[in-house]
Formats: sequence, structure tokens, C-alpha cells
Amino acid sequence: MNALPTSFFGWVGFILEKYGTLFLSGVGITLLVAITGTVIGFAIGLLVAILRTIPVAPRAPWYRRLPLRALSALLNVYIEVFRGTPMIVQAMVIYYGCMYMGLRMPVLVAAVLIVSINTGAYMAEIVRGGIISVDKGQKEAACAIGMTHWQSMVHVVLPQAVRNIMPSIGNEFVVNIKDSSVLNVISVNELFFMSKSAAGTYLRYFEVFFITACIYLALTFTITRLLRVLERKMDGNTNYIIYGSQSDSKAAIVVPKEGGVPND
Amino acid sequence: MTDESAPILRVSGLQKRFGEHEVLRGISFDVHQGDVVSIIGASGSGKSTLLRCINFLEQPTDGAILFHGRNAETEWNRAQYHAKVGMVFQSFNLFANMSVLKNCVSGQVRVLRRDRREAEEKALFYLDKVGMAPYRDARPAQLSGGQKQRVAIARALAMDPEVLLFDEPTSALDPEMVGEVLSVMRELAASGLTMLVVTHEMAFARDVSRRVIFMDEGVIAEEGAPEEIFVRPNQPRTREFLSRVLGA
Repeated sequence: MNALPTSFFGWVGFILEKYGTLFLSGVGITLLVAITGTVIGFAIGLLVAILRTIPVAPRAPWYRRLPLRALSALLNVYIEVFRGTPMIVQAMVIYYGCMYMGLRMPVLVAAVLIVSINTGAYMAEIVRGGIISVDKGQKEAACAIGMTHWQSMVHVVLPQAVRNIMPSIGNEFVVNIKDSSVLNVISVNELFFMSKSAAGTYLRYFEVFFITACIYLALTFTITRLLRVLERKMDGNTNYIIYGSQSDSKAAIVVPKEGGVPND
Repeated sequence: MTDESAPILRVSGLQKRFGEHEVLRGISFDVHQGDVVSIIGASGSGKSTLLRCINFLEQPTDGAILFHGRNAETEWNRAQYHAKVGMVFQSFNLFANMSVLKNCVSGQVRVLRRDRREAEEKALFYLDKVGMAPYRDARPAQLSGGQKQRVAIARALAMDPEVLLFDEPTSALDPEMVGEVLSVMRELAASGLTMLVVTHEMAFARDVSRRVIFMDEGVIAEEGAPEEIFVRPNQPRTREFLSRVLGA
């Protein structure tokens, strides 16, 4: 091997060359944990939101009302506990708690589990906000047409709610990419953990973590851009075709959104 | 339904309280097959609450709704009941996340379990009836109020309802759009659809409906044929209300 580099960028190049694959595998794990964690957390959030909004008729008998009350109390406890404690502590408690009870989880499974449950608690509140943002008439119309609570939530209310909360979902995603770094305390070999090992060999902390910071930034920036594209896709077309005008039954006119069509 | 004269919908002793506030204080009436009933009355007289109680958007405090002689709350499957008793809202409430066509299809597919192709055919048939078929791909946000309400009517009709409830269907519309919605409703009435219409359109109540119910302070103050109510009202409060709204 050559002599060790002497300049900052010399070190950066040297480290990239030597530990490039290490960083890459760290990025892989970070993305894996953040993406699955966010997706599962989002699913948890939606489910909790559906469960918490089950309507109870005031004239319903107690054995109908009681289970729903209990469920809603349980869900509130879940949200309060996981929003109210740091994820780094949750990681320790869950991972070592399971071990204490004789359940030895692979760290990667533990990592995804922790991020999912933690994200789910936040998502539940975010989705609740999204549901509030949807006009009550939407739910009423769905009920009036005969849809069940589940159907009206899944097909009418939540699609609109989710569109409204896309910015917050993006936040959670970015937070998860960054905060999965705390999982190094249970030895998940994600990006931060890998960086620490890389820095340890030559004791070049600044150079290594400079690289790490750049990688995190690149990841989060890419994700936010992708989510923007997704948002635009969800908004759908601003144009539509009018089939068959009065003068020509085969005519198809494209009317722009802010065009000749009166808005209310 | 062997008895021709049996009511399709019977409202019996309906009461609704919001806290201390009694909005409905014992409402009873029958609706027969093909009836077009207008419910008129001042704001706050409980007209809309009555309609919302009939399809359980509000839970009645007391009393019963009988549909084909069976208690709608306990003896009917809720989804089935809703499919048969449709509703048109003052604020349209078209599903904002769906195109015009999908608005008219989703209920048929989800609730009635209709085949999608069949549902689309039916939706287009009714959209054509209300003159909105050309806009099948538009989103609700791209339509005017009158257009939205016509789509909402098509959406309700696509479910093949036996009774259609209208909750002030023209009250949120600009004056020049009221006519297009009323003319659709006139055609429906002529076609024999059973309709229950809460309205401020006195001309509609007088000319189109077979029966008029005048509500005042949570009770039915007077009910009868339109010519009785509008020409020879019995009750002083009916007379007072009519002279106020007709500006006579």
C-alpha cells in the first residue's frame, strides 16, 4: 500500500476507495429499514385511523360500545407511549426486553419492527389530521349510498386524506432515513454504524462523517424529490375530454382546468 | 307488498334531540309508491334533520322508520336500506377523489356488487339522462354547482333506489343553475320515482309535488295536497310562512 494521505480530500478519496463497499452496504441497510419501516408504519397509521373512527350509535347496547371503547383506549396508549419516548430507548427496551424473555430476534427484524411501531404511532396522528381535513359530507355521501365504514374509509375518505398528508408522510420518511442511525445501539449495521467502524480504523472521524453526511443528504434529497413526483401524479390530470359536443357527436374538446368551465 | 295501499315508507313518532334542544317532536307520515312529497318550512323547523334521520345520518332519539313495513333500524341490513333509500345533498358531496363516471360506478360495484361493465353502462345511462354524460371523465372540482348536483342525482339513481331523498338540492346553487336541477327533478317526478324533497322552491312544491308537508318547530303543522296548502291553508302559521316566502 501507498503512504497514508495528508490532505482532507486525500483522506476522503482514500476512505471512499477503501470503505466504499462498506458505505454502500450501510446505505442498503438504512434504506431497507427506513423504507419498510415507513411503509409498515403508514399501514399501521391507516389501520389505527380506521379503527378509531368506527361510529358508535348512541342507542347501541353496552356490549357493542364497550369493546370499541376499550380498543380506542388501547390505541391511545400505544400512540402516547411510542410518541412519548425516544426511539433509541424503544430500541433498547424492545430488543433487550425480547432477549430477556428468551426471544432472540435477528437485529434487522428488530430494526424494522422498532421503526415500524414508532412510525405507526406518528402516522396514526398524521392520518387523523388528514381525515379531519376531508369534508364530512364525503363520509356522509358514502354512507348514504350504502357503503360500510370500512368501504367509505378505504375508497372515499382515506384517498383524499392521504393526498392531503403527503407532505407529512414525506417528513416521516426523511426522519426515518436519518433516525434509523440510532439503531446502531443494537448493532444494526446501517450507514451510521458502518461509518463508525470505518472511522475507527484510521481515527479519521471528520473525513468519514463528512462522507456520511453527504450520503444522508443525497438519500433524503432523492426521497423528497420522488415524493413530489408522486404527489403530482396523485393530483391527476388537470384536463379532461368532453365527449360529443352539441354540434358534432364525435368531437372531443380538451378543456383546461382554469378555462371555460365555471368554477364554484 | 300485496296490499297496494301499504306505504313504502312510514315515519312514526320520530323524535330527535340534540342535548336539551328538541329538533323533532314526534313526526309521523306515510309515503306511498310514486309519491312526490315536498317538505317546506322555515329554517330551523327540523326539515333537514328529519331527512337525515330517515337515512340515519342522524340517529333518531325515539320513534321508528318503517320501510316496506319493516323497521329500518333493526330489521333492515343498513347497506341494503341505504341502497334503496338514496339521498341527494345540498352540498352535492360528490366523491372528490373520483371522476364523474366513477362517482356513479363505485357504489354500484362496492355495495350492490354489480359487474363493473354493467355498472358503467348504468352510470352512463343516468348521466345521459341528467345531461352529464359528456363530462364523464371530469373531476368534481372542475364542474359548476348545477353540474355537480346533476351528477349527484345520477349517482343516486344508478343505485336503483325505491325512494330518493332530496335535502335542499338547489339551495347551494347560483340562481341561474337552479333551473337545470329542478327540470331534472321534474322529469324524475313524472317518471314515477318516489321522492321526498326538502325545499325552499315553492314553485316546485306547488307544481310538481303531490303532497306538501309544512313543518314548524319540530312538528308537522299542516299537510295536504299542494292546492290545499298553497291556496287554502288551514293553519295561521302556514299562512304566515307562505305570505313571507311568497312575498304576497
